[in-house]
Parts: sequence; C-alpha cells; structure tokens
Amino acid sequence: MDKKHILIVDDDPAILRLLSTNLKARGYEIFTATDGEESLEAVQRDFIDLIILDLMMPKVDGVEVCRRVREWSDVPIIILSARGDENDKVKCLELGADDYLTKPFGIAELMARIKTAFRHRGDPSVAPAQATFSCDGLEINFAKRRVTVNGKEVTLTPTEFALLQHLAVNADKVLTHNMLLQSVWGNEYSSEKEYLRVFVGRLRRKLEPDPKNPKYIQTIPGVGYHIATSTASIA
Amino acid sequence: MKSEEKILVVDDDRDFLDIIRKILEKKGFKISAAPSASDALSMLKKHFYNAAILDISLPDADGTELLSNILELHPEIITIMLTGHSSVKNAVQSLNRGAFAYLEKPVDPENLISVINRGMEKQRLVLENRQLVNELERHNHVTNTLLSVSQAVAETLDLQKIIDSALQKVAECTGVEASFVFLRYKDRLKFMGHHGLPQKIIKDIPKEVSAISGIFSNLIEQSGPIIAEDLVKADEPDLKFIKKAGYRSFAGVPLTILGENIGVLGIATDFNQIFSPNNLDLLTGIGREIAIAVRNAQLYEEASSARALRELDAMRTAFLANVSHELRTPLAVIKGSANSLLQPDVIFDEQTRRDFLLSIDKDADTLARLVDDLLMISRLEANALEVKKKKHRLSDVISAIKDRLDNLTVKHHFHINIPKELPLTNIDEGRIGEVLTNLVENAVKFSEDDTNIYIDATHEDDGITISVTDEGIGIVPELHQRIFERFFQGDGRKAGRRKGTGLGLAICQGIIEAHGGKIWVESIPGKGAKFSFSLPLD
Repeated sequence: MDKKHILIVDDDPAILRLLSTNLKARGYEIFTATDGEESLEAVQRDFIDLIILDLMMPKVDGVEVCRRVREWSDVPIIILSARGDENDKVKCLELGADDYLTKPFGIAELMARIKTAFRHRGDPSVAPAQATFSCDGLEINFAKRRVTVNGKEVTLTPTEFALLQHLAVNADKVLTHNMLLQSVWGNEYSSEKEYLRVFVGRLRRKLEPDPKNPKYIQTIPGVGYHIATSTASIA
Repeated sequence: MKSEEKILVVDDDRDFLDIIRKILEKKGFKISAAPSASDALSMLKKHFYNAAILDISLPDADGTELLSNILELHPEIITIMLTGHSSVKNAVQSLNRGAFAYLEKPVDPENLISVINRGMEKQRLVLENRQLVNELERHNHVTNTLLSVSQAVAETLDLQKIIDSALQKVAECTGVEASFVFLRYKDRLKFMGHHGLPQKIIKDIPKEVSAISGIFSNLIEQSGPIIAEDLVKADEPDLKFIKKAGYRSFAGVPLTILGENIGVLGIATDFNQIFSPNNLDLLTGIGREIAIAVRNAQLYEEASSARALRELDAMRTAFLANVSHELRTPLAVIKGSANSLLQPDVIFDEQTRRDFLLSIDKDADTLARLVDDLLMISRLEANALEVKKKKHRLSDVISAIKDRLDNLTVKHHFHINIPKELPLTNIDEGRIGEVLTNLVENAVKFSEDDTNIYIDATHEDDGITISVTDEGIGIVPELHQRIFERFFQGDGRKAGRRKGTGLGLAICQGIIEAHGGKIWVESIPGKGAKFSFSLPLD
C-alpha cells in the first residue's frame, strides 16, 4: 500500500521536527509548512491525505486555512493547538476540522486520532452489509459513499459520512452520545460531546431542508440521536 | 383702583383749591394741594402722583415751566393745565410741551372729571405697557442667561471645566461678585470651584462639608433657594469663608436634576442685597442647567471608567491566553519528545534519541526563561522592579556581557563604538546589560547573516543615548509603538527561528523607564532598525 501523505503545518520548528520524526517512524510520508500560505500550496500540490494544523501562525492563520481547504477538499484536518479554549475547538470543528488536540499532547493519542481520521475516510472493512439506505428523500449508497437528498448529491467529509452511516445503519434505534462517540470516533472520545453536537449540526445543514426542524436526524434530549423513519428501507 | 389714585393740585387760589378738592374727593381721588411751584416740586420729589392739575400762572413761577420740571421728574404723570380766558395761547404751548389737556377757568366739574378719567385711562395703559416691556426684558435676560450658561457648560464633558465655565457665566450674566459650587458625594458636599473669591480666603474654603447638617444640607434637602441677606448677623459655620472674604449677602440654590439635588450653587455680594424672587428664579434656573451638565459629565466619567475596566479585563484575558500559549508550546515539545522515547511501538536510532533529548533540554531553558520574563513583567506591573543604581562606565557594562554578545553575533559583523570621554552614568549595571543583550538578540533574529550590527553611544548635557543598529528587515512605522507592548510578536524572523516570548521589548522599556530614561525605535522597512535608549546622568 502507498504511504499516506501527512502535511504538518506549524510555525515552531521544534514541533515540526518532533512530529515528522514520529510520523515517519510509523510509515507516513511527511510534508511540512511553516505558515498558512505555504500550507495551502502544499495541500494542492502534494496529494495530501491528512493535515495536522496549528492555529496561531503568521500570514494566514489555521482557522482560515481550515475554512479555505474545506471550500474544495474533504481531506481530514486535525487541529493541534496551544489554544485549549472550548470556543476555539467548537469554532474549528464547525468550520470543518475533523479533530482538535491541545498542546501538550501524548504521541500515542495523536497516532490514535490520525487512525480515526483515516478510518472515517473509508476503510472498506467498516462498510455496512447493506448497500443502500433510503428515507423520505434521503438516499445513501454506502459502497460508493454517495449521498443524495431528493436526487441532489450532497458532499460530506469522511467524518460526516461516518456519522451519517452509523445513524442510518441503526435507523430507528436511539444511539446515546457515548455510543456514537465510541463507534464513530473511538473509545478515547467518549467525553467529547461537543464533537457530536457540531457534526450533527454540520450534517443537518447539508441534508435537512430546514436544519432547525430536522426531519432526518432527531435529537433525543439528554440521551442521543436517531434517524426515525417508518418509510426508511434498507436494501 | 381710583381710591389709590392721587392728584396734586397746584394753585395759589385757596377757594378754588377747595372747590376742586371737593369735586374730586367725591369721585374717590386723593387730593394734595400746593400753593406754589416750589411747594409742588418738593412734594413731587417725595411722593408719587398720578396726575397734577396746574394753574398756568403761579406766584413763584410760570405754569408751563413747572410743567417741564414735573415731566422731567415723572414722565408718566398726567398733567392738566388751568388757564384764564386770556392765557389760552400759553395753554396750547403747554400741550406742545407734553400736558395732557387744558381747562379754562371757571372749571366745569363734569368736564374736569371726564378729562381726569381719560388721563387716568391713558396713564394706566402707559404703565401697563411699560410693565409688559419690563417683563419681556426680564424674560429675555433670563432666557439669554440660561442659554449662555447652558451653551458654556455643553462645550465639554470635563466636570471641572463645566463648573469653571458655568461660574464664569454666572458672574458675566448676573454681575454677582463671587460664586461657587459644591457637589454631593454620598453624605458629603465637596467644594468643586469658585469664581471671584479673593485669594486670601481660598485656604479657608472647606474642601468638603456635611450634606446632612448645616446650611448647605438644607439646600440639598429642600428644593428652593436659601438666602442670608445680612451675613454680619448670620452665624452659619459653613458660610464663614464668605463672611471672612467681606461679603455681606449670600444666596444659594440646589443643583437639581430629575428631582434629585446633586449639589449647591452659591453666590455672594458685597452689599446687603435684597434678592428678589426674580433673581432667585434665575439662579435656580442656572442651577438646573449646571446640574444637567454635571450629571452628563458624571455619567460619561462612569461610562469611561467602566470601558477602561472592560479594556483592562480584555487585556488580562488576552495576557493569560498568551501566557498559556507561550507555556504550552515548549511544554508540547518537552512532553512530545519524552513521550516519543517512551513509545513501545517504535525504537528510534541513537541520533534521533539524542535529538529528542536536545529538544527537551533546549525547551526546558525556553520555559525557564519565559518564567523569568513573566516574573519580570509582573514586577514591572507592580512597580516592584528593583534598580540598584551605581556610577558605572558604559564600556564596563558592555565588557561584562561581551562574551555573550560575541556568541550571539557570531554570524554577523559586530561593532562597538563607545566614545572614551563618555561620563559615568548612574545605572543598574546588570539590568542595562540585559537590555543591551535583548536588543542585540533581536538584531540578530531579524537580520541576515554577514550583515552589520552596531552598538553606539552619544553624550548630551543631561544624559547619554545608546543605540543598537542592524541592517535587517526593519519595522513598519505603525508598529513602532506596538512592539513595546507585552506579547507583541513581530513577523519576519528568519526561517527556522523560534518565536521569542514577546516580552523582551516590554521588559527593556520597563527597565529603561525605571532608570528615568526612554526607549524608542527608528526604522526604514527593508533597510534595518535602530533601537535607542536614553539614560539620565544621575
């Protein structure tokens, strides 16, 4: 299998060195950028499979990089920032980042998160047995990773797709916050409830005709979410 | 009313006088009689008469002459000339001089009454008219005064300026000799300013008085004016300073806004003044204008200090966020490097392991330095920076740090030009060494290898100025102030270089200011920067 390309964006040379050494040792091909502008060029040039992105950088900052990349690419983005503020985290996730890790961090934790991101990207082993799902205008083709609403194609990031897939496969079952976080992200995410809130929000904005009164993904307050449908059919 | 209308009859004919008196008294007029022109004039000087009936030929004067004298004294008096048949010509002349009418003797009583009634009617109209004009003028004066006070106080939101210009206007518009203002702060009234009080008693003015007892507290508690028309007799402790200044009368009004009395406006005059209700109304109006302006200024002050507090709070939050960020970055390297060495899934080669250890070592130093810098900043903030000043030669200060500077500038061309005749300077050698090291470090960080870095010094009468000059990227003018702010980070350090703490220049500034000096930068972007600081000789 070809080596996965990871772009590390950080203006601190010591952090770049630390991450490069660790990721190379684990078989990844590493590209680096020290500011936002450089990173945007690299994403377009180097067939990047995943970005590890610092927030506070000269020229174009990490938040802006995240926003601009999401305009045309669904490449997984893991934010690695010294800013531990909850607002920063939610803001980045809402802009389309897949994950958020605060400095200082453990190497094993970072590696686990990279793996989660790649898993969302479409590991065939996690594809469900059934081929399609359909419910009141929402159609999902699991094998092709294709989603349409009333015949119109919707582009989802890998993490968004993974969450939708899990909800669809378990349609009409209530999935608790913990169950969703552990199944879609991994065991170490069970306390990251805001991830779920942000990603459900992202999905609703893309799928629902009226995101404030969702008809596909329903909230069970204090418990979790489900796709409830009598007309849903899994072929 | 007729009963109050007084008529002076001037005639030397006693019988005639009696007849006239009888006729007119029957109609309710009050009659006085004068047998001669001189008697008439002396009576007119003492009393007011609505009308005078004058015989045209008097023993001591000509009636027309007396007419002129009377009209000069009282232009509004109604004058009726009595003439004999032969003197009609004189009577016409009298009309030209301002007499209201003339009657021929013997007088027809009905005719006399009718003429007098017409005269009185005319006089009433004239007097009413005059009263209206006076009233209008007074209103005009009040309006102009209030407008002028309100304009003067509306020009500023500075409390002291408002009070000063209001008092200036009070003096201009009312002509009072002295005026002053106290403002209420809880249960005290604080003296805020005066106009016209003599210099010699300024020290006697109480800085504040009670708002609960005393004459000023009465003003605060009630809504109307208070007057003391004879201060010599009055025994008011709060008014002692006015009395001492030699003033005889005092009037005070509360400064009222929205039903609340927020202070006192007082005026004092040199003579025993009778303050008329009109005067006091005007003063009360002025008090209201001042109160509006004072309250506006107080609200503005409150809003400004709330804004300042919010800004301070935002700065603190930003400071904490910055500290957190600056601590976490080297900490991430230390933890990440140590953590890498502990991972069971990868065995790193000897060189890589050594690199991790070097990173830990280096960033532990970075952290230690950051902690030092933060301590220094907090000392500066608390004004607790100790500067142990002694007489030193600048060349000695530089010698002490020469090795460190040489190490820093090893890839640059480093020049030190300190004139030999530079006088001894009273400085903390260690702290000034820190400033120079910091400036040289910055010069290295922001300029290419193989370029020049200079330390120069010049000597003026009152101090010395030391500069560190580089040929690096320079600093745009809009950042010349901001670079001295805490945590400000300039872009453009050379590739692969670590960020500083963003505290260096803020610390330099603190140290130099603690020496009584100044620090500044001159720079042309792209050509280099020259950081200079001045130090006083003693």
